[in-house]
Amino acid sequence: MIEFRQVTKRYDSEHTALRQVNFHLDRGELAFLTGHSGAGKSTLLKLVMVMERPSAGEVVVGGQVLNSLPRRQIPYIRRHIGVVFQNHQLLFDRTVFDNVAMPLEVMGASPRDSGRRVRAALDKVGLLSKEKMNPLQLSGGEQQRVGIARAVVNKPPLLLADEPTGNLDPKLSADIMNLFAQFSQVGVTVLIASHDLALINEMGRRTLTLDQGNLITGGTSLHGGVGGR
Amino acid sequence: MAADPSSKRRKPDPARGAKVSRSPWREQAESYFTHHRKVARDSAGRMWRTPVASLMTWTVMGVALALPVALLLLLTSLQGVSAGWESSARVTAYMKLSASLEQTRALADEIESDGRVAELELVDRDRALAEFRASSGLDDALDYLEENPLPHTLLITPKESARSADGVAALVTFIEGMDGVEQVQVDLGWLQRLNAMTDLLARAVWALAILLAAAVVLVIGNTVRLSIESRRDEILVAKLVGGTDGFVRRPFLYTGAWFGLGGGVVAWVLLQLSLWWLSGPVTRLAELYRSDFSLSSLSVDGALALIIAAMLLGWLGAWVAVKRHLDDIEPGEIAGG
Repeated sequence: MIEFRQVTKRYDSEHTALRQVNFHLDRGELAFLTGHSGAGKSTLLKLVMVMERPSAGEVVVGGQVLNSLPRRQIPYIRRHIGVVFQNHQLLFDRTVFDNVAMPLEVMGASPRDSGRRVRAALDKVGLLSKEKMNPLQLSGGEQQRVGIARAVVNKPPLLLADEPTGNLDPKLSADIMNLFAQFSQVGVTVLIASHDLALINEMGRRTLTLDQGNLITGGTSLHGGVGGR
Repeated sequence: MAADPSSKRRKPDPARGAKVSRSPWREQAESYFTHHRKVARDSAGRMWRTPVASLMTWTVMGVALALPVALLLLLTSLQGVSAGWESSARVTAYMKLSASLEQTRALADEIESDGRVAELELVDRDRALAEFRASSGLDDALDYLEENPLPHTLLITPKESARSADGVAALVTFIEGMDGVEQVQVDLGWLQRLNAMTDLLARAVWALAILLAAAVVLVIGNTVRLSIESRRDEILVAKLVGGTDGFVRRPFLYTGAWFGLGGGVVAWVLLQLSLWWLSGPVTRLAELYRSDFSLSSLSVDGALALIIAAMLLGWLGAWVAVKRHLDDIEPGEIAGG
């Protein structure tokens, strides 16, 4: 689903964010991405989202090489990637329902279809009763779940999460991780960037560790569950 | 959080697989138009929520549009005047004072038989004096004159086919060459001057219209730029979840078009008000000049064209802003790691 082939990302001559990173995530695989601040986690996620282009090597998502993807094709790639952000990136000028509906709206889904899918996604994260509320009225954990509902509402084959449990207490964090595990069971590839080593160890999944731009664990595996530490 | 607190409702399964189900094209088209309607309504709604700011933008646009349109209307009215006069162009031939009435009659018959002349009226010198006496108010002064200073006069109306500038000129030369004719006058000089002036005015109006249209585009562009800034987060999220450029631009283009609509309506109202305000004095002035001059007002077609042009200008302004500013907004940060 995601493949990095000798990917290097250099922002300028001083700063190299990723050095010759190689890895491959299969369909339905769940993996963690960890490392210190500045180790290159967000650069890696940005490369998958085509928010950045690699300086060398190839990034392949869903069988498509992203290096030379024309700018106007980028939206169509992003529609197949659900993203959960640490700071939620929710819009406070509309209801929870409308926030979750955004990915469907950009795809031009019919309102009927859209309503059904939004409710299904909200139901999945346990917030169906709050669809008419403004995200500002929700707690941090609830906002994060709204973000997850938005990321999965159009059933993307790939789910990226950036510190999804950053501000949450351990119980909520475990709930959210469970949710991700469920998605991977039904075939979604999930890549979670996280600092939370305790939680990562508890999950016992494959872990990609970055250190100063080098992938030091989890890079060689082609199948899940090997490189974890 | 339990994974499925309400699974009795529907089986939620947001992550079944890769493929997003494809709707048939009719449904796609339907949802496309639904989306357009929604965006259009939404943009209009945003405008209503800030009525004072919107009204100010509309007024600026309205004034900028009303000015050239008003001048164009004035121009049309003036051209109407000159057209009216051209069709009634008359050639006046003054006989020599020594020419007798019989001589003049003979000449009149000769001219009337010419193919280019539609109508001829002979005003003999006595009648001319009487008319002059009546219209000039110089009654007493004229009494002191020993003899009638006015010659016999022929008023000649050319046929339709000879009313061109060249045709009239040829007729004038023909009559001038005749015996007993002192002077031939075609009072087209002032008409030519008026024509030259309206031509000049027309160019000036068009130049002004273009400048003001550019101003409208810039005003709308700036307003839309502010609107883009205030909706930055929304644009970022839309781009992150796969919104195309077209999708992201759409609300702003509608915003521009709505500003145009408002501006067009304000311009129309301003025009109607000023026409109403001016119509009384203009009629009085025209009466004083014995002219049927009137200010032409905007027809329904004209009003529609004005509003549509305004909407296009608004759309164009929005497009300029969107092109300049929207494409710069790219999601850059998703994390701090």
